[in-house]
Amino acid sequence: MRNHIQGAVQFVANNRLKFDRPAQPIEALPDPAQSLGHVHKAVAQPSAKEVLDKLSTPEVKARCADLLSRYPVPQGALLEVLWVAQGVLGWCPREAIRWAANVCSCAPAHALGVATFYTMYKHAPTGRFLLQFCRNISCSIKGAAPLIKYVEKSLGIKSGETTPDGLFTILQVECLGACGNGPVMLVNDEFATDVENGQLTLKVGSHLTEESIDRILKWCYAREEKFPKGEPVRDVLGGEVKGHGGHPGAPGAKAQLQSSDYAPVSPVLNVKAEVDANGATLTWKAAPEFTKLVVEKKNGASWASVGEPGVKDKSFVDAKGKVGDVYRMISTTGERVAKPSKEATATQKPEPVEKAV
Amino acid sequence: MAECVKVCTGNFGKGAQDIEVYKKLGGYGDALKRVFEMSQFELIDYVQRSNLRGRGGAGFPTGMKWSFVPRNSGKPVYIVVNADEGEGGTFKDHFLMMEDPHRLIEGLIIAAWALGTRTAYIYCRGEFLPCIESLNKALNQAYAAGYLGENIMGTKFSLDIFVHRGAGAYICGEETALINSLEGQKGQPRLKPPFPAVSGAWKSPTCVNNVETIMALPWILQHEPEEYAKMGTPRAGGTKVFCISGDVKNPGVYEAPLGTPMMTMINEYAGGVVGGKLKAVLPGGSSCAPLNAEEAAVATMDYECLASMKTMFGSGAMIVINDTHNMVDLLNVLGNFYSHESCGQCTPCREGTGLLHRILNLIVDGKGHDGDVELMQSLCGGFGGVTICPLSISLGGPVSSYTAKFRKDFDEYIAKNPDHAKPRVQETYRPGIFW
Repeated sequence: MRNHIQGAVQFVANNRLKFDRPAQPIEALPDPAQSLGHVHKAVAQPSAKEVLDKLSTPEVKARCADLLSRYPVPQGALLEVLWVAQGVLGWCPREAIRWAANVCSCAPAHALGVATFYTMYKHAPTGRFLLQFCRNISCSIKGAAPLIKYVEKSLGIKSGETTPDGLFTILQVECLGACGNGPVMLVNDEFATDVENGQLTLKVGSHLTEESIDRILKWCYAREEKFPKGEPVRDVLGGEVKGHGGHPGAPGAKAQLQSSDYAPVSPVLNVKAEVDANGATLTWKAAPEFTKLVVEKKNGASWASVGEPGVKDKSFVDAKGKVGDVYRMISTTGERVAKPSKEATATQKPEPVEKAV
Repeated sequence: MAECVKVCTGNFGKGAQDIEVYKKLGGYGDALKRVFEMSQFELIDYVQRSNLRGRGGAGFPTGMKWSFVPRNSGKPVYIVVNADEGEGGTFKDHFLMMEDPHRLIEGLIIAAWALGTRTAYIYCRGEFLPCIESLNKALNQAYAAGYLGENIMGTKFSLDIFVHRGAGAYICGEETALINSLEGQKGQPRLKPPFPAVSGAWKSPTCVNNVETIMALPWILQHEPEEYAKMGTPRAGGTKVFCISGDVKNPGVYEAPLGTPMMTMINEYAGGVVGGKLKAVLPGGSSCAPLNAEEAAVATMDYECLASMKTMFGSGAMIVINDTHNMVDLLNVLGNFYSHESCGQCTPCREGTGLLHRILNLIVDGKGHDGDVELMQSLCGGFGGVTICPLSISLGGPVSSYTAKFRKDFDEYIAKNPDHAKPRVQETYRPGIFW
């Protein structure tokens, strides 16, 4: 056996040069804008200790526990946990992805696959102001491309790059869902077409122009002076929701399963009675879960049972029925009896229209 | 323009983000009382009678979709609200959620009653953080007021709603991809069957509905279903929130009955075309075939008329294009978009959209050749029915119809290449060099 293995290793070693393909140079894309700036660059990763120290605060732990209680399986919270990590660190280093996988009890490789599938998880640090410009059809029609060129020129960088002072990153993204205001941009997580009273605004009917972009950039610089150590913390998941019970069965959830009898039992709907030579034919519409159906006919002031159609029957014939008889149907599901259906008065069945010869 | 009943946008600009204001405007009142006396079957029948059709794009009847969900299967039933609107030109859900989050919550309570849902999710796209903040604030208020949580309003019914933030993938708007994303996986569509109504999120019955569909429910329950059905066309009831963008005077969100003529929408609601004459209209978002000016003059905005014109109603997102634009530039933008957003599962889509995009890029760069348009058309022929989801057709459809209807624009661009009559060197299509 050992000889076999050694022989195989020797064979590969002897023939390696024959199988190797000639080296192919990998050229970088000439223009980062071609890939919309979503280039997965190899960047220096922070140490594991540094990342885990930042992520092991009580707030993050409480947040993750809350997120895990919302899904039947821990893996459901993976996207949200990655968001939490990105909120704390500003981007998703590999170690944070490993941490998220650990929190959600899934394989690190799975978490890496998820984190690289979605474009909003950043795999390299971005500038403090991430400027995302929509370049989809509605914004293109209204002139997004020249505006993006304008910003690139005024900041001196290309799409996908960060300014040397670490303030701005420009990205070209697909539809931002504000096409009525096109061209439109996102400054970090805020939609913006203009600045008013020191705040970014997205007003009906407004759109980006070169002047309003200048005002927005000015707003960013002013913001940098006001908060030199970073933005006031904004919750990446849009704030916590208090008072929910979680998903039944999830760790830490209080919620119970839905009780099966919360709604009343359905009555039979659309009861119709039509009389022809065979008697009265009843049709109806019934829920699929019935276990018993009873047809009753009005007899003076009381109701008399006429028969019990099968659960899967589509119609029922009362041989003694005549025009003017009043019928109703009562359904039973398990042990719960529904209220009677609406009363239906039997009518003469219309004669089938004879075709003209 | 005739005054129309505002089903979804009635509370716009009235400060309905606050629960007290929303209650004064009639929310959380009669509709919920009426629902809590109904059985599940009655409620589904009620919605079927209203003729409500899904507003996300496919236009499937909502009541029928609900009736496919098996009850008493022993598994929980989920409702997932699809708020992942990423289709170019669609922005109604953004403003609906910003302005009126409580209507979405009330509609969700109604839908959950019909299906017996205990846990509902709102899948909101990652870019809509302001919307998520608005929704979470509303959810907090609703929990505090007792409209959510255990035993809502003294019934045995309980419901929890969670907002799930997506992370920027257009394909997650497809329902099975959305379910995968909700489960914490890559947002890649699943094969159907099994349909989500039978085996969706965590292998449980799941119903995926658009934001606007859910938001129409409170109004339908406050009124009679026939009243809603009366407003639209015979096969699709009610009003629709249209988003008009592009070269019009007042782009924005407008609510109008289904079956409104297209030119009424453009001229009366949106203030007319600006910057030139009307050249084309995309009636249902970026993935539908364009109508040229003559077709737009006779089209009405409803499912049947647009289907008969070989385009689609989609999400009701009208993109108006004037004659200063070259259609090749716009198609190039779409090619960029769809090739970037292809999830990479099916080879025809992954390779085909990329190849189309690169051919379009060459044409726009002035390197087009004579056979390019035919080559693109033949590529689009290979998309139909061979992929899991319709993303490749979303690009293939526009490419075939743009090239058929606006061939002149393509020829203009190709003529810019002095060598356009020579055949393209086949080597350029080799992998690694061309794409």
